This record gives sequence, C-alpha cells and structure tokens, in this order.
Amino acid sequence: MGLLTILKKMKQKEKEVRLLMLGLDNAGKTTILKKFNGEDIDKISPTLGFNIKTLEHRGFKLNVWDVGGQKSLRSYWRNYFESTDGLIWVVDSADRMRLQDCKRELHALLVEERLAGATLLVFANKQDLPGALPAADIKKGLDLDEITTHHWLIQGCSAVTGENLLQGIDWIIDDIASRVFTMD
Amino acid sequence: MANADGAVFVTKENICDSEFTKQFIADKLQKREDERLAHVQKRKEEKSAVSAAQENTKSFYEQFSKEKNDLENELSLCDSLDKNKLVDKFDEISVMYQKLQRFVTESTMFLPAYDLQQTQENLSKLQTSIQEKRNELIPKKKFAFKSKKKGTVSEKVEEKPKPVLEDEDVLLADCKFSDRNGEQLVMDSTINKKDVALTCLDSCIVKLHGTPSAVHINKLSNCTILSGPVSGSIFIRECKNCTFVVACQQLRIHTTTDTKFYIHVTSRAIIEDCSTVSFGPYNWTYDDIEKHYEMSGLDKRRNSWDDIDDFNWLAADKHSPNWSLIPEDDRKKFT
Repeated sequence: MGLLTILKKMKQKEKEVRLLMLGLDNAGKTTILKKFNGEDIDKISPTLGFNIKTLEHRGFKLNVWDVGGQKSLRSYWRNYFESTDGLIWVVDSADRMRLQDCKRELHALLVEERLAGATLLVFANKQDLPGALPAADIKKGLDLDEITTHHWLIQGCSAVTGENLLQGIDWIIDDIASRVFTMD
Repeated sequence: MANADGAVFVTKENICDSEFTKQFIADKLQKREDERLAHVQKRKEEKSAVSAAQENTKSFYEQFSKEKNDLENELSLCDSLDKNKLVDKFDEISVMYQKLQRFVTESTMFLPAYDLQQTQENLSKLQTSIQEKRNELIPKKKFAFKSKKKGTVSEKVEEKPKPVLEDEDVLLADCKFSDRNGEQLVMDSTINKKDVALTCLDSCIVKLHGTPSAVHINKLSNCTILSGPVSGSIFIRECKNCTFVVACQQLRIHTTTDTKFYIHVTSRAIIEDCSTVSFGPYNWTYDDIEKHYEMSGLDKRRNSWDDIDDFNWLAADKHSPNWSLIPEDDRKKFT
C-alpha cells in the first residue's frame, strides 16, 4: 500500500458521518430515509429492527441508522449510540396526544454519555397534514430551549412531499463538519 | 607519439570543453535558483496578502456581519411584500442563509473556538427568526371540523388566522370526536387528505366516509369504527372491546384487548402489548368508496390482513398467542 493510498483512505474516512435516526413509532423515520434516498415510500411497513443506508451527499458519506421506534424496541436504542456524530429525532407533528412521551424519550437520550458530542436535529415531520402542529409549537412541547448540552435545530418537514428534508440534513452535516473536520 | 599527442590534445580539448560546460551549467543553475527564489518570494507575498485578507478573524467578522445584516434587511422587507411573492422571497432568504452557513463552515479552520461558538449561536438565532417570520407571514392553512348541521364549513375557517393554543382540548387535532357516549358519529368527505383524531369514546358508532391522510385513535371502549381508505397510517392505542373496519397503508395497534379488526392494509399491520385481538378482511362499502380508493392511492389488490407482526412475539416458528384470524363464518358484514 503506497503513501497515496493511505492518504486517500484517511481522507475517505474523514468525510464519513454517522447519523442515528430515532423517535417514537409512527413518526416517519423510515419514510424520511427512503424519501431522502429517492426510493418508493408506499410500501413501508413498521420497522421491526433497523435499517442502515449509506448515502453520498455533498461529498460526505452518510451512514444513516434508522432504528424502529415501537416501545418494545426502545430499550435497544442504546446499542446504536456508539460513535454517533448526529442524532436525528423525528416527531409526528400531528400526534398531539403523545407529545409528552416524545419529550420524555428525547430528554432521556440527551443525558446519555455516548451521545454527548452529537449534534441534534429535530424533524417536526408530517407538516403536510392540516392538523400538524407547527415547528414552533413542537419546540415548546419538547422543551428544546432547555437543551444546552447539544447543538440543536428544529426543522418542520414532510417526508411525503420531501419538503425541507434537504435543509435539515444540510444543517446537521454543516454543524458536524464544523466540529469534526478541518476543511480542505 | 602522434598517438600520444593526439591523445593529449583530445584530453585537453575535453578538459576545455568540460570546463566550459561546467561554467555554463553553473550559470544556468544560478539563474534558475534566482528565478526560483524570486518566485517563492512572490508566492509568499501573494499568499500572506490573501490569507491576511481572508483568514483573519477580523475580516471574517466583517463579512459575516455584512451578510447577516443583508439577510436581516431582506427579512424586514418581507413585512411590506405582496403575499404572492413571499414564498419566492423566503426561498431566496434561505439560499442566503445557507451561503452564510457554508462561509462559517469554511472559516472554522482559523476561527478560535470561542468565536466559532458565538458565530454558531448567531446563526441559529438568525435561522429561528427566519422561521418565525415565515410562520407569521405565511400561516399554515387551518381546517376545523364542525358538525354537519352548519353545512359549508371549510372555506371560511381556512381564512382565519391560526388560533392561539389555549388548553389541552385545543391541542387535539381539528377533525376529531372526543368524550362522547352512546352516539352515532359521522364525518363526510370534508376529511379528505386531513388527519382525524378519535379519543375517549364509549359505546359509539363512528363512520368516516372519506379518505383521510392519517388517523389517531386513543382510549375507546365498546365502539364500532368504520373508515374509508386512509392514504397514510392509522395509529390505535388503549382500546377495549371494539370493532374496527379500516383500510390504510400502515396500521399500528397498541395496548388493545378483546377487539376485532376487519382490515385492508397494504404493508404489514403490527400489534404491541395486545391480547385477544382478531383479524378479518375489510368489507365495508359505501357510495363513494371506489372514488376514495382512487384518491388514497391504496392498491386494492395488495392486502396483508392475515399477516400481523407482534412486537411482543418474535419467535418465527410459533404463532403469537395474542392474535388470531376471525373464522369465515363468524365475520360480520358492514354497511
């Protein structure tokens, strides 16, 4: 292996970003992942286990881990925390009845030591539904202003229409990049 | 001797020649060295000029605050702008914002950690104010479901500005039934493409003659729920002794007991913390159902009503004790 190969390998590794996507069940995590990757979204079943996708975006290699959100799976979430650069928390903005559950689960994650360095992006999903709470209300409902330990941003979006998905992902990549990588 | 002379001569000539060449090469090398040094010097000057101009924290702040000001100016202009142009304007603003964000990212190399943190705080404040402005000027269209008596509903309500959140009740979705007992409740096609919520109902019959995008159901007992095709997901929890006749793309059932489901689901239905729930195929018909199927985009040919994932029963070789199929003779018809 020549020096150039080693350098190239380091370079590739350098631009790798690991994103962990979590949230209550029915939030639309898998739909966001598939929509972002340009796949068909009509045939998605509730996730029993997890999905991993490696995407190329803006010269970054994104390893996205989408873990099922059913109550019985949440205790396994911690198996995926290691070396996470960014946490994407997905919320069903129309599910007003479970906003408290949603807040509790999110704040439980934020005290996790292994997620301490991760950037947090909150997707207020399903904004295509007329009954969806706007991102500002979700922000209030989840007490996001209390968070001082992580860089965070809330972004209203719709996985069905694809609205604002790119903006959210771009933000989280930029934030991670500014912490982790020195630019060329 | 001639040979020797010749040899001497040749050697002499060689010496002369090689000395001449040496001198020539030395000159050339010196010249090159000078050129190289000059070039290096020039590069150095250029580079330090550039880096002084660009990579200096002060000039970073100048450019950052200039672009930030531009952005804020644009934002304040929005107030007086025509409604039709607002969307384009906000797109423009978000492009400006992204450019600014990229500029910050590229400058991280030379910015001290404190300045970087400050800048990022500034950035996120800016984004929040953009978002707030956007929400203020382009309010989301709101829909409220009123009882059928009032006739035409939706048009006028949609014009009104968004009501301020007051209490838990308002926190529930717009198309909803809650806290009813022993009633027959009907919604018509005004729920198309909307989200519907049903909560805390006892001994009610609910008919949804339409194609909503999503349905949330919570805390029902002794109810019968009939719904047209739902283009997205239905989420059911904490129900007892009910009957559901629903069609949808995704169906999640939680903490529900003694309940029958007649379903058309195009992905796989799941149950969690449920017991004595049973399943049969969807069989409700009403006047516009074909039209609603078409609008919902559900594939009529694909129905996995008999293939349920139990999240509390992961053994593949043994059937979950929590759910069963309704025998054909026991299936009810719904109209």
